[in-house]
Amino acid sequence: MLFSERSIWTMLHGIGLGGAALLGLGAALFYLYAARSPSDSTDPAARSGAFAGITVGTAVTLWLAVLVGTYIIFPPYRATPPPGVSDLREFPRAMLLAAPGTAWLHAFAMESKEHMPWIASMLTTAVAFVAVRYRSKLLQDPSLRRLSMALLAVSFALVSFVSLMGMFVNKVAPLD
Amino acid sequence: MATTGVSMAAREVNGSAIAALLAAGIGAMAMGAAVLLNEAGIFVAPTLYAPAGGVSGRTTLATIVWLIAWAVLHNRWQAREIAPGRVGGLTLILVGLGLLGTFPPVWALFG
Repeated sequence: MLFSERSIWTMLHGIGLGGAALLGLGAALFYLYAARSPSDSTDPAARSGAFAGITVGTAVTLWLAVLVGTYIIFPPYRATPPPGVSDLREFPRAMLLAAPGTAWLHAFAMESKEHMPWIASMLTTAVAFVAVRYRSKLLQDPSLRRLSMALLAVSFALVSFVSLMGMFVNKVAPLD
Repeated sequence: MATTGVSMAAREVNGSAIAALLAAGIGAMAMGAAVLLNEAGIFVAPTLYAPAGGVSGRTTLATIVWLIAWAVLHNRWQAREIAPGRVGGLTLILVGLGLLGTFPPVWALFG
């Protein structure tokens, strides 16, 4: 078999869900930025409906990514090798911690990935709720728009950071 | 009809929006606090799923705090107009503090 089940889950988590979330967050941020000077040629209801769709889709994608990451990918990553096992390739955390040069990939990179994405999911969900409930008011109200943009920007930065950390970890200790 | 009237009026004020955004900040702060307290050995959230370890308890706890805060704030503010400046600033501060709490280099200061 070309890819193991664990490898497929990892790709779904990082490339599929994480990648889609980054695209969605980027699109949502652009929408809010563009709404600073609304175009007369576009129906406000249509614009706000599209924005609500993007943010809801992104929030759902982010929650799927954190749930898959926490409950499907993380357990085999952190599994403790049985005594006497010298080949640690099946035990990524133990493998990273075994070498001083790679220990930071667990102590910093993976430890960051354990919690930060949950915060990104909460922030994005809050903006998605506002987008659905308030529709065009969110795009037209400068204070609401600015605060939503700030939270989405934080979320985008967090997802970018943990994605990069995930790439580093997976490069050195892949979950095969 | 009265319900529809209230619902339409509630949509005109920003209370629900500000409640949702502030609650997200509280959730972020709860996540950071749960992690920091765990690293300092002061409070360890119970593990809910053993294969995932303590992260399952910490994240679930913070998620519950977030949802409760959201429900409470929503109920209190849904029919009110809230000045967004202060609450927005508070939200960003809470998010910042929460992120600091989840940032591993910070743990060394408390561990």
